[in-house]
This record gives sequence, structure tokens and C-alpha cells, in this order.
Amino acid sequence: MNDMTPVAKTLPKDWETDQEVRWCPGCGDYAILKAVQRTMPEIGARPENTVFVSGIGCSSRFPYYMETYGFHTIHGRAPAVATGVKLANPDLDVWIITGDGDALSIGGNHTMHLIRRNLDCQVLLFNNEIYGLTKGQYSPTSHVGTRSPSTPFGSLDRPLTPCAFVLGSGARFVARAIDVNKNLPAVLKAAYAHKGTGFVEIFQNCIVYNDDVFAPFTEKANASASQLWVEQGKPLLFAGGTKGLTLDTEKLVLKVVDVVDGDWAAAHVIVHDQTNRAVAHMLVEMPFGPFPMALGVLYDDPAPTFESAVVAQNAQASAGKKPDLQKLLSQGQTWQVEKQPHSM
Amino acid sequence: MTFVVTDACIRCKFMDCVEVCPVEAFREGENMLVIDPNDCIDCNLCLPECPADAILPDIEDAAAPWIELNKVYAALWPMVTSNAGQKPSDAEAFKGVAGKYEAYFSAEPGKGD
Amino acid sequence: MASAVHELTPAEASANPPAESIVVRFAGDSGDGMQLTGGQFTLSTALAGNDLATFPDFPAEIRAPQGTLFGVSAFQINFGSTAIDTAGDVPDVLIAMNPAALKTNVDALKAGGLIIADEGEFGERNLAKAKYAANPLHDGSLAKWQLLAFNISQLTLDAVKPFGLGNKEALRCKNMWTLGLALWMFDRDRQPIVDWLKAKFAKMPVLAEANIAALNAGHAYGETAELAGPMKQHHVAAAPAEPGLYRTVTGAESISLGLVAGAQLAGVKMFFGGYPITPASAILHHLSRLKEFGITTFQAEDEIAAIASAIGASYAGQLGVTSSSGPGIALKGEAMGLAIMTELPLVIINSQRGGPSTGLPTKTEQSDLYQAVYGRNGDAPMPVIAARSPADAFDCAIEAVRIAVQYMTPVMLLTDGYIANAAEPWLVPNMDDYAPFPVTYLETVPEGGFLPYARDEKRARPWVKPGTPGLLHRIGGIEKQLGTGNIEYGAANHQAMTEMRRDKVLGIDVPDQEVELGEAGGKLAIVGWGSTFGPIHQAVRRARKKGLDVSHIHIRHIWPLPGNLGALLKGYDKIIVPEMNTGQLKTVLRDQFLVDARPLNKISGQPFMISEIEAAIEEALA
Repeated sequence: MNDMTPVAKTLPKDWETDQEVRWCPGCGDYAILKAVQRTMPEIGARPENTVFVSGIGCSSRFPYYMETYGFHTIHGRAPAVATGVKLANPDLDVWIITGDGDALSIGGNHTMHLIRRNLDCQVLLFNNEIYGLTKGQYSPTSHVGTRSPSTPFGSLDRPLTPCAFVLGSGARFVARAIDVNKNLPAVLKAAYAHKGTGFVEIFQNCIVYNDDVFAPFTEKANASASQLWVEQGKPLLFAGGTKGLTLDTEKLVLKVVDVVDGDWAAAHVIVHDQTNRAVAHMLVEMPFGPFPMALGVLYDDPAPTFESAVVAQNAQASAGKKPDLQKLLSQGQTWQVEKQPHSM
Repeated sequence: MTFVVTDACIRCKFMDCVEVCPVEAFREGENMLVIDPNDCIDCNLCLPECPADAILPDIEDAAAPWIELNKVYAALWPMVTSNAGQKPSDAEAFKGVAGKYEAYFSAEPGKGD
Repeated sequence: MASAVHELTPAEASANPPAESIVVRFAGDSGDGMQLTGGQFTLSTALAGNDLATFPDFPAEIRAPQGTLFGVSAFQINFGSTAIDTAGDVPDVLIAMNPAALKTNVDALKAGGLIIADEGEFGERNLAKAKYAANPLHDGSLAKWQLLAFNISQLTLDAVKPFGLGNKEALRCKNMWTLGLALWMFDRDRQPIVDWLKAKFAKMPVLAEANIAALNAGHAYGETAELAGPMKQHHVAAAPAEPGLYRTVTGAESISLGLVAGAQLAGVKMFFGGYPITPASAILHHLSRLKEFGITTFQAEDEIAAIASAIGASYAGQLGVTSSSGPGIALKGEAMGLAIMTELPLVIINSQRGGPSTGLPTKTEQSDLYQAVYGRNGDAPMPVIAARSPADAFDCAIEAVRIAVQYMTPVMLLTDGYIANAAEPWLVPNMDDYAPFPVTYLETVPEGGFLPYARDEKRARPWVKPGTPGLLHRIGGIEKQLGTGNIEYGAANHQAMTEMRRDKVLGIDVPDQEVELGEAGGKLAIVGWGSTFGPIHQAVRRARKKGLDVSHIHIRHIWPLPGNLGALLKGYDKIIVPEMNTGQLKTVLRDQFLVDARPLNKISGQPFMISEIEAAIEEALA
């Protein structure tokens, strides 16, 4: 059967709600919102079939601005709510919107288990390395020494690398992007296409409390030399192709090498294989400064999803059994009382 | 949604807006700027910067006449991301003047970055 | 679990209304000293102030061959707190020291009664002598009673080992071991027996010491070896009143079954998010095996994920259910608030245990009432239902589901460890007798447009499943505008929404409160909730038999309270509220109705004794 009727394609504006967007002027969230709204038509998503689940934070206001089903839940718990949504209806497209505080501080546990289970959904973690909504406290991803209202003398605890954490939790899809960078829609598309938890860390600029914290690699002057956008099957090159990454075979760590006249092969630059977990670990942990910031789809190697396993098991365990409630009630050792027994 | 530049910009071209735009959405014409609707993220940063109040969100009625103009010329004019002294010396004189489109509009591109 | 082979879960006892007296029958070989045991138990019972009557049942032979059916010797005692005229028609407890004793006496035991058997004597030879083809302890033939089997012989040998007795003499101490256990079960003082033993064996102090050691060991066994809680106060199931098909059921089972029934009556699939915690885990276990009923169970990573996933499932159109005990319920507080604010159906079951904090995981209590009624940030009202027994819990679960889906609200169902673990005979309900309450999801855009927070006559908002075109909307925990559900911070709206949420819950169609026993009005009302039903009911019954003007009211709907309750309570001169907490229902009643409800509190991890409530009744009416 050739169904030639095309599915009505949506436009980005079909995904906008009538609510006035209330993020601070200049917030990177606006760019992410636009990117998501532009991506939806391209992936053929249907608004009625799409659910955005968020936690608490500036990031988590996101569902109110998307013309889809949306659930603004409680701090850190979006993955758990989303798990219930997806298990109840595996056909829904579930997107989780969270932030560095929401997902990695209070929500660290739930994030870990969501990833571990590999629920088919997309997780967009808006990492601005600060707590925006509550006015600027440091977060689990803030650099050591961050001065904030709760750490006036500088924060002391070591930050977490979100992508390393999720890889360690067993993630099968890990990607990084920048809020205003034009590659974001492509990354979102890849996350959606991935069957399983598509984790995307988005460096998002908090213009009020942590402005330009990512400037060392996002500012135009620095971008080329400090951003490494990976592509499947392509060499890991940056700085306009004049530098690349290779493996130091003695120390088994990554190394930056110069590439002369475009001959990356001669420099033994690694060709990106997004199914290589070991390289993905190294890419996400490269110390920034000596190394560029790895961006794009860093790891994509699908594995069976949680909800499909639950559905399969539910079906298997039910096979051949009739849901006879009356029979269930009468189970176990029973006995019949024929008449009024002797009462006390 | 997008933001648009109205005729209030013409011959003023203060260019305070380009300094704050996080997504490099401004395009420079000879005597006014426009906003590329494909790049604008509605972040509200530019609107209060303009001394001539030339920027409006496209959902407002007063913006309606300028939507098409911004879209067309954004495709033709070069990107501008800083206002390194490009403001005209007589910018103040044209602030609040009426009928600037009919009198002065130029379709010529500006210098850009 | 209701099975003949009792896997000896510790706190298994009937949770139901205890008989007004208890009849215990000791039965064993004529060489086992049953008379002696019975006699001593009698002594201790008399000393405890019970009226009693005994019935020794000797075999004709002086000493029949060991283990034979005709060699069985029994001693029955009926004791209670009112005048006892007979030794009791039917024993409630049978202590069977060997297969022959079991064979000859078990049929006299009332259905649901307790058998204590000395497993060590149930070897092949004794079984053959008693004409058992198979071991009744293991073949399911004892299903209609509760069975506790342990190796009393071995336990006795272990206890008297230090005294170096010969095997036969050592085993003769078995009756003292058994007596020790019986004394513990009925909370009797051992000292009289110790004194008696010392006197009896004055010339053979080693024997005295050995017997005392056995006595103490049996007592200690009851205390420590997993017979905690309900075993101490032996409440035996009332004899079944109606003819029909019976099975035994625990509270955990009946709640699980009630949830399945409720979901079926509502026509929705159930999603159960749970996390292991004593004594609630059994509900998760039961439901996880019922996949053919369209139930998805999810052992979440923690208590909060358990409720959060259930809320997500409700959002997606299934019936979300979660269950825990006190500490876990505390963790779920914020999520409950989210369910209240987003007005989604949810059933939360609290199997209460001793608190606060980790408290007493295996002991029963009912100290989470405040938490259930008040325990969330903000004005966050939630309906609360309390079950009184395993059988009652089935109907309470159905009621909880009904309220949840009809009013679009989370509902708390309170039960406790006693109910959860206790088994009682249950007249299997006929599902045809239950009226369905099918859910209707909103599936098309209503005339005039879709308002996510529009309300029906119950003040419930529509239930919309994601995936439905035309009804897209966003919900969340921030205050929302009447009707549209958009975020709204305005003052008048918050006032109105808070009142709406309050009125929705207060408007729930709770049935009028009935009087369990007695009249509507009088000198004294004993008002209870939860598993105190049994002791209160018996105490009030006994008091009324004495001619005292006292009535029993037992509340199922803790919030909202029944509409007639205030007027009903005001018809009594005095009100006493026995509770296993420091007076929580009492507080709510005083607050809601301005009545002088007085507390009778017991927070020892153990159920009330009938006598404790009787004493309070008598004092109040003196």
C-alpha cells in the first residue's frame, strides 16, 4: 500500500505558544527555544504526540513556550516523571528539559538511573554553570573559585563534567552544543533519531549571573581554535584544519598535533567513530586550554531501550493468562462455609 | 516571532543594538539596520538599547509594515556585529522625525563588519 | 500469605475483632505433661485477673503408648475479662505437641484459629501412628487455620543442654518450654511458675533449673525469635458470620487485590511505582506478578522516583499508584503537592509502622495521621481513608481509586503493619456486586474551547491523555489561573484557586458515619480508626453486656470527615479516642467539631488490649 498522502508538515511557528516568554533579555534559552522549534518540523514531530517534561530552573520554564503537551514538575525529578509518562504510553515523544543544578545536583540520582535504564527520550541539559532562577548560586558544574551569593569567597568543590557523568552511567548517546551556535538543530535531530536516551549538553549563557563564562571557546575570536566539532567518519580537526587530535600511544591519552598542508593522515589524526566509547570518554574529559572543547555528536551507539523491554516483558508475562479478577480473588486455599457456624 | 527594525532607525542608525545581540542578527544597510528573522531569537536585549525606540516585536501592530522589509533586506545586506564608530554624526537630529522612509530610505547595503 | 505451609512470617495473627474470650487448648501425648502445663497456665491466668474455666481432657489409659491417637491428652482453658461460664465451645488456639494431638483436636479448632505445632515430633513414625498419610504441616490440609510450626523438641534440648540431663528427661521439659511461649503469647507473669517449679523440684534443684531454663527459653523465643508484635496479644478471628467461599488474606494482599479491582471498575490501566520498605514491599511484590491485568510495576530508584513516575503515568492517562511506609511517605511530600496542584489522580498507600524516623520497622502504629491530613507545604488538602482490617482494606482500596479518578486528586490510604501482615478469613467478594465507575477521558475540543482547568460538578478538571489532538496544554506546580491553567501569580486568583482546591476535597461524596455498635447518642462514644477496630469493638461489646451505655464509632473517611459526624459526636456526653499515637485523630475531631474528645494513647508498637479499653470505659462511666 503506497500511502501518498503526505503528513501535514508543521512550521516552526506552529510550535510557539501564546505565552509571553519571560527569560532575561539575551538569555541563551531563547536561542535554544528557537532551535528546538526549528527542529520539530524537520524531524516530522507531531505536536499532539510530543511531551516536554521539565524540572525546576530557568531551563525548566521551557515547556510553557512549546505548543505541545508539557509537564513542569519538581526540582530534579523530571526523569522520574518522564519515565512514568513513557512507560504509560511508549508512543509519545518525550523530551526532558533540565539544567546543571536540576539534573546534576538534586537530580543527579534520577539522571543516573534514567541513563542507566536507557529510556527512549531526549534530555536537553542547559548548562550555564550557575543557578539562575534562584539568583546566582554556584552549581555542580561551576569552576572552582566561583564567587556567588552562597560562596562569597569562591566555591571549593570540584565540578562535574556532565558528559563524563552520563557516559559513566552507561549513556549510549552523548552530544554537546552551544546555545547560539548554528549546529544545534543538527545535534537535536541526531538525538531524536537515536533510539534510547539522547543526552545533549548545551552550553547556555546566563547573561545575568554568569555572563560569558564560555567565552574562552564561544567568543568569535576564540571559536575556531578552541571548538572541535566532531563528525562521524571525519578526522578530529580544529583551528581551521591546522590542528588535530591523535592518541599518544605511550601514555594512552589524547594529544594535540599540528596538521600540515591538510595532511591529517600523516599526523595520525583520529577519525571520529561515534561508536567508540573509550574515545568518547577521552573527548569529554579533555582539559580545556591545552585541548579544545569537543562538540557535536560525541557518542552514538544504540542499545535496547527500557520501555521496550518493559512492554515486551509485560506481554510475555501475560501470555496465555486471562485477567479474571473473580478467579484471582478466589485464589489460594479456600473453604466453603455451608451454613451458619456456631457463633461465639 | 521575530523583532523588526522600523523606520525610526533611518538616518539615526545609533547601532547600540548590535553590541548586545547574542546571535548576530543585525544586517547593515546604508542608513538603517534590519534584523534577520531567521536568526533573531526574540531575546529582548536589543529593544531597550535603541535610543530611537526603533525595534519592536513583530506581533505589535506598529511593526507590521516593517516585517517584509526586514526579511527582504536581511538577505541582501551584510552582517554587522559591532558599531565601531559607524553611527552617523547627525544621528540625534533625525530622532523622532516622521516620514523618514519616504524621504530617506536607501536599499544600498552598508559596510558590515 | 495464606497457605497451609506456614513459612513462619513472624507477626502473623488475626487482626480482626477478637473473641470476647480466648480458648486455648494444649494437646499432646499423655506423657507430655499437658495437664501440668494447662494447670500452670491456668494459675497464671487466674493471677492475671481473668475469669476462666478449664476443661482437662485425659485419656482413659493411665499411660497410653506414646504418639497414639488415643494417647492424646488435652487441656482447654477459656479465659476472658467477663464472667466465663464454660470452657469455651471452640478453641481459638491449639497447641499440638505431636501429630496425634493435632489429628484428634484440629477439627475442633475454629476456622482461622491458630495451631502451634512441635515440628520436631512430626517425623514419619509419629505421623504413621496418627494415621497421617502425609505431613499435615506441609501438605496444605491445614489451610483454614493459621499455622506456626517450630521444633519445640530441639529448642528445648538446646535450652536445657547446660544441665546435662538425659535425653528423655530433657524432652520432658518441653511442656515448660511450651508453657513459656504460651505465657508470652498471652502476656502472663512467669514468676508464679518459677516459684512452683522450685517448690516441686526442691529435692532435685537441677531439674528445677532445667525446667525454669526451658520456661524462660520458650518465653524468650516468643519475645525475640520473629514472633514480634501481634503474637503478643492474641486476637483471634471472629467466626465467619455468613455462608460462602472463604480464603485467608493479609492486608497487603487485599490492598493489592482492591487496587486491581478498583482499576478494573474504573476501566483504566494501573501503573504502580514502588520502592522496597518494611512493611509495604509486599504490595509491590503482589502487583508485579499480575501483568495480565494490564498493570505495570516499576521498582524505582528511590521513594521520590516511585511517586514521580506514578504521577507521570497519571499524566499520561493511567492510574498512578504508589505505596510506602512513614519514612517513604515523608519523602514523597513534595511530589504529593505536585499531584494536588496539577489535579491528577493518584493513590498513595501508607502501611504505617512505629515512628518517627526509622522508628520500629516491624511494629505497628498509627502515627501518620497528621502527616496524611496536613503533611505538605502550603494548603494542600488531600482525601484520606483508613482501613480497619485486611478484609476492609479491599473495599478501602476500591474507594481510594474511585475518589482519585472521579475528583482528579491524590488519595492517601492508611493501613498499618498489623493489617499488612495479619491474615484473616475473608468471604470472597463477588465483583458483580460492585458498581463500576468508568473513567471518561476528554477526547474532543468542547464547545466554547478547551480549558484545562474547567471543572465539572465535582470540581474535577478533565483528564486528557497526551497524544490527543486539539487538547494540547501544559501543567505544572506553579499556581495556575482558574479555568485556563496558565501560570498566574495574581492575588485574587491564588485566593480563589486555594479555596477551589479546598472545596473540591471537602465536597467529596463521603457516606454518612454509622455507629458500629450502640446508639447514636448516649453517655459515651469510643471513636477509633484503623486497626484498633478489634480491641475497641470487643471492649465496647463487653461493656454493653454489663449494661454500660457506650457506643463504638469507627471512622473510615479521615478526610474529609463524614458530614454527619459532628452532630453524631455531639450526641454523646463523653468521647474517648483510643489511638496508637499521641492523639492525632483526637486533635482533628476537637478542631473540626469543638467536641471534648479525650485521648487514650498507646504507643508501644503493640495493639491495644481489650482490657485497656474496657478499663477506660469503666473509668469514664464511673
